Amino acid sequence: MESATLAKPTGRIEVEDKGLKKNAITFVSNVVIGVASTAPAYSLAATLGFVAAVNGLGVHSPAVMLVAFFPMAFIAAAYYWMNRADPDCGTTFAWVTRSMGPWLGWQGGWAIVVADVLVMPSLASVAGNYTFQLFGNSTPSNLDVTIVGIAWIIIMTAICYIGIELSARTQQFLLGMEFVTLVIFAVVALIKVYVNHPKHSIQPQASWFNPFGVSSLSALDGGILLAVFVYWGWDSGVSVNEETENSSTAPGRAAIVSTFVLVAIYLLVTTAAEAYGGIASLVNNQNDVLAPLGKGVLGSPLDKLLIIAVLTSASASTQTTILPTARTTLSMARWRALPKQFGTVHPRFLSPGFSTLWMGTVSTLVYVLLSATSPKNLIPDAFTSLALTIAFYYGFTGLACIVYYRRHLFTSVKNFVYIGLMPFIGFAVLMFVLVKAVVDYSKPHAGYAKPFLGIGSPVAIALLMIILGVIWMIVQRISMPAFFKRRPEVVDPGIVAASPAGRAE
Amino acid sequence: MSSGVVVGYDGSDSAKAALLVAVDVARAHGDELVIAFAYELNPVAGELHDYHAAVKELAEKRLAEALSVVSADDGLEVEAIPVARAPAEALVALADERDARLIVVGTQGESPIRSALLGSTPHKLLHISDRPVLVVPPPGPR
Repeated sequence: MESATLAKPTGRIEVEDKGLKKNAITFVSNVVIGVASTAPAYSLAATLGFVAAVNGLGVHSPAVMLVAFFPMAFIAAAYYWMNRADPDCGTTFAWVTRSMGPWLGWQGGWAIVVADVLVMPSLASVAGNYTFQLFGNSTPSNLDVTIVGIAWIIIMTAICYIGIELSARTQQFLLGMEFVTLVIFAVVALIKVYVNHPKHSIQPQASWFNPFGVSSLSALDGGILLAVFVYWGWDSGVSVNEETENSSTAPGRAAIVSTFVLVAIYLLVTTAAEAYGGIASLVNNQNDVLAPLGKGVLGSPLDKLLIIAVLTSASASTQTTILPTARTTLSMARWRALPKQFGTVHPRFLSPGFSTLWMGTVSTLVYVLLSATSPKNLIPDAFTSLALTIAFYYGFTGLACIVYYRRHLFTSVKNFVYIGLMPFIGFAVLMFVLVKAVVDYSKPHAGYAKPFLGIGSPVAIALLMIILGVIWMIVQRISMPAFFKRRPEVVDPGIVAASPAGRAE
Repeated sequence: MSSGVVVGYDGSDSAKAALLVAVDVARAHGDELVIAFAYELNPVAGELHDYHAAVKELAEKRLAEALSVVSADDGLEVEAIPVARAPAEALVALADERDARLIVVGTQGESPIRSALLGSTPHKLLHISDRPVLVVPPPGPR
């Protein structure tokens, strides 16, 4: 450890942090962080109805959950390798900037911000709805939901701002609750399907899991685009695992375990929900599929457990929404790609203060705007367009990995498969899904809301956000030109040599 | 034989008061003074690298301020260390490492609500430290 002697003869500051925190995060915590980062209960409540509603998908929602997992897992490989080379909290922004230059990198960072901003209305309306469900009001007015939703955003922003951190133990407890509740719900639902045959119920069949049984490619595509969202956030778990563990084997194992846990819970709950209520129940309750089903499955008052699970999950998912956005804009500011206020740390709370408040404010404004104009239509459309954004930045993270490591792809079979092929498949699938979705969703009646200038509402929202991003980027180019003069670079060969795949030679 | 005084410092008024008390104690015993800025970053939801760097810059700035106050006192051996770990645990670990005589912290002017929600560092410290802990309130009328 180096020590820098300051001008004052008697005092010195150690430049490096004390490495006191060794193995502070256990294997279980790693798995928990990985799973909690995707907020399974909330993701299911918010997504399942939309997936089931995709035209032509029919009973194949579980197959979609299964298929969507693969590109995400492959992109997670890209996260793993890029994080190894450059553990930067700007993630996609930093990595795309390094590998493919500042312009594309800036747009990658903007895409993260846009995705997080666009998910907030959905998050807030689910949280608002479930708050009323918890107190027995199943048909709250839009104004009431909006007010409670805004309160949720404010609380969540405040939590991130003052830096309240749930301890690992609290997190394990909350996630354990959420998890057990989901499993109980799914198991009870399945038992009732087989024993009681409730109205509208259908017995699960193997064909539900078969993606080739889906009637059309565009149905599968539309489903995958939405299902991408349920796995969104898992990558941060992977990267964190990498950062917090010192051992060379445990972090990878934790990431793999959390993956399988997630896939298993998604398949189980999707199957159970579909079997119990039939497709119609999922489609008719798109904004909150679990609460209406919970009443029938668990009965009163146990159905409250499910509502609490979704609420804790929704509040936990703020950590996967506000925190990474704030860290991305903080990172962008430190790279001189955004004004320096975004890079400030609150002197007392040590949170990325300005970035956090900015994110909370923008989210609230967007939520109010969507809710005031057309809550039943624009919030789902924003949610759909959010998937476009996620597909874009995940896809480009995969591409960034290949480009950044391009000189090392052909040095070994392992390198080729893990650093080249897997991220490329992830990139290719996500780009295909993205392009197909843009074509489909840009049709005038693709969205729930009215088309804008003849373009379907989800694509119109995405376009609007891209235009805003381009304008802001040009402003940055004029006011802070240095960042935009960066040249693309390649990975330091030393990092490849030190990696497990490199060593395997 | 214990030697050294560890003081937690975050730049708040009570931390400044704690620093002055720690200087007095260290000078009285001829001990080394270790000033620590401890912080913990939430590992959930993403990479921390740049964020960590930003917080560390703040830590170093605060520590430099602390040193500029302290080093007016000649003859005192002072070290300033940023520690990336939950504050209470960090101070205890540091005190163990240095076999410190005692740990000094400010009350941090915590409001009761914030303390209840977050737990206060002095409170945690009293529970986990097996060394003496000196808690110093901020100056001013009470």
